[in-house]
Amino acid sequence: MVNPGLVLDLVERVGATAQHGTVTVPLGEGGTDRLTATVTDWCARTGNELVEVRDRVATVRRGRSPDPIAELAPDLVPGTRLWMYTNFDCNLACDYCCARSSPQTPRRALGLDRVRRLAAEAGQADVSELILTGGEPFLLPDIDDLVAACTAVLPTTLLTNGMLFRGRRLDALLRMDRTRLALQISLDSATSALHDQHRGRGSWDRAVAGIRTAQDNGFRVRVAATLPYEQTHELEPFHRFLDTLGIAPGDQVIRALAHRGVADHGIELTLEALIPEVTITADGVYWHPVSADHDDQLVTRDIFPLSDAIAEVRSRFIEQRARSNAAAQWFPCA
Amino acid sequence: MSKPLMVGAVAYTPNVVTIWEGIRDYFADTVAEMDFVLFSHYGRQVDALLDGMIDVAWNTNLAWVRTVAQTDGNCRALAMRDTDAVFQTVVVARSGSNLEGLDSLKGRRLALGSRDSAQAAILPVYYLDHSGPGADAVDLVRIDSDVGKHGDTGRSELDALRMVLDDRADAAALGINTWESIGREELMPGTFEAVWSSPTYSHCNFTVLPAVSEERTAPWLDLLFAMDWDNPEHRPILEMEGLRRWVPPVLDGYTSLFDAVEEQGISPRW
Repeated sequence: MVNPGLVLDLVERVGATAQHGTVTVPLGEGGTDRLTATVTDWCARTGNELVEVRDRVATVRRGRSPDPIAELAPDLVPGTRLWMYTNFDCNLACDYCCARSSPQTPRRALGLDRVRRLAAEAGQADVSELILTGGEPFLLPDIDDLVAACTAVLPTTLLTNGMLFRGRRLDALLRMDRTRLALQISLDSATSALHDQHRGRGSWDRAVAGIRTAQDNGFRVRVAATLPYEQTHELEPFHRFLDTLGIAPGDQVIRALAHRGVADHGIELTLEALIPEVTITADGVYWHPVSADHDDQLVTRDIFPLSDAIAEVRSRFIEQRARSNAAAQWFPCA
Repeated sequence: MSKPLMVGAVAYTPNVVTIWEGIRDYFADTVAEMDFVLFSHYGRQVDALLDGMIDVAWNTNLAWVRTVAQTDGNCRALAMRDTDAVFQTVVVARSGSNLEGLDSLKGRRLALGSRDSAQAAILPVYYLDHSGPGADAVDLVRIDSDVGKHGDTGRSELDALRMVLDDRADAAALGINTWESIGREELMPGTFEAVWSSPTYSHCNFTVLPAVSEERTAPWLDLLFAMDWDNPEHRPILEMEGLRRWVPPVLDGYTSLFDAVEEQGISPRW
């Protein structure tokens, strides 16, 4: 027999709670599945939300939790930007690389066929921008074909260390669509010392040269710096330097160093702390580009169809926000 | 700019704050700004209306009847929820009880809600007298929880249902809103069934005294009636307050309660 008082308890306890507050209601006697179905049905009829059933106790929210997707700025909605790791190998071995990239890292290339299909499906899935990253994408012999597959569909940004713009790689760069492509080149400081300390001797000079090459050939260039969190407030000299390079203020991107990959320190970026940005690698779909080499933020191995992958990331984000909201309401102040 | 219209409401649940903040925000920056004052029970609210502390009282049907009695009818009802115009009392028994209609309650135990609840106590007695075997022919079990809030919390009705479950009563009298909130017969099949439903009657309304002119209330009413279920900004407030649209008051719907209050000797004051 199903506990006949269950619905009475729900009405009484939820009714005495403020909007968006949660209450717990023991299921009482009867099969868990049947009683859970009763709570689910009652919540659906009355406009409330079953948060969870654990240890035969239902947690119910009065009203429905706010839609965390609707609360985000439009450009932060998961799936608005699609990140693709074209490869994981790199000509550098930066000591803070979140993707553990280096010359010895296996390539794990996404490949032209998958990039082409992802770009096509992105165009149908309300994605507004494609972002290609690595590793160092210019190590790929077909990087210009990958970029062309993307720029044919959506505005695209290509992340690079800017050090390889010579010979056939420069030729590949020059074949890219300047009207649809922005280059984001990594540069960590206004002078070579700090940059070279993390990224290798001589890398600052070559990166600055790469920025100038790209600019001279008509490309929009963003510069992204990765700095220890404690240094992210002393940026005036760096911005002044970037101004002299002709980098627009809005294209000067500063990122705090994350404790991910080979970095031995940095800010902790857990799944709960990150608004997801759908990220595709050869290995699957990840929560965020900073964690594309970390199983704790692997969402699914199934890259296709892309719309399902985006829906899965959004669904998990909604669940995660609901859990954190519930925890915030429960956590006692004293 | 004129002073904001002060609306009184009874805080029978914490959600009342959310509801009235939402309604206040809806009127903000309009020609009919309002604010609200919450009271612990309807007696205090109607006293505040009579004292001029508030301009409008969001009254239950019993609070309306008592306001009419204390002002000799010198008060106006401005509006009500669509659900207030078709309120009902439902008598509920255990499934399979074979009870049907008010006459089947003769000699049975009927659990009533708080004595100041029109839907769960006053009108059930009225209908037993006028459409059933008479209240004296039924063993009335009264549950006076949350007196002062006129049954708004629904707690006494839930307690009445628990008495039926525990076989301490054969049937319980509920407002249609409580019957809906437990999912009628559908959510717990085999548990409860409706034995009888009353004719429709009126429940809450916004009440004002003559001191508050129609010139002041008309713009406010125009905006109130303009709240739109299909507008996503208005919808949450309407859902929480339990209506789809605000409607003009149906005054005929209070006749049964006026008669019941007189017949049962219920005080016009508190």
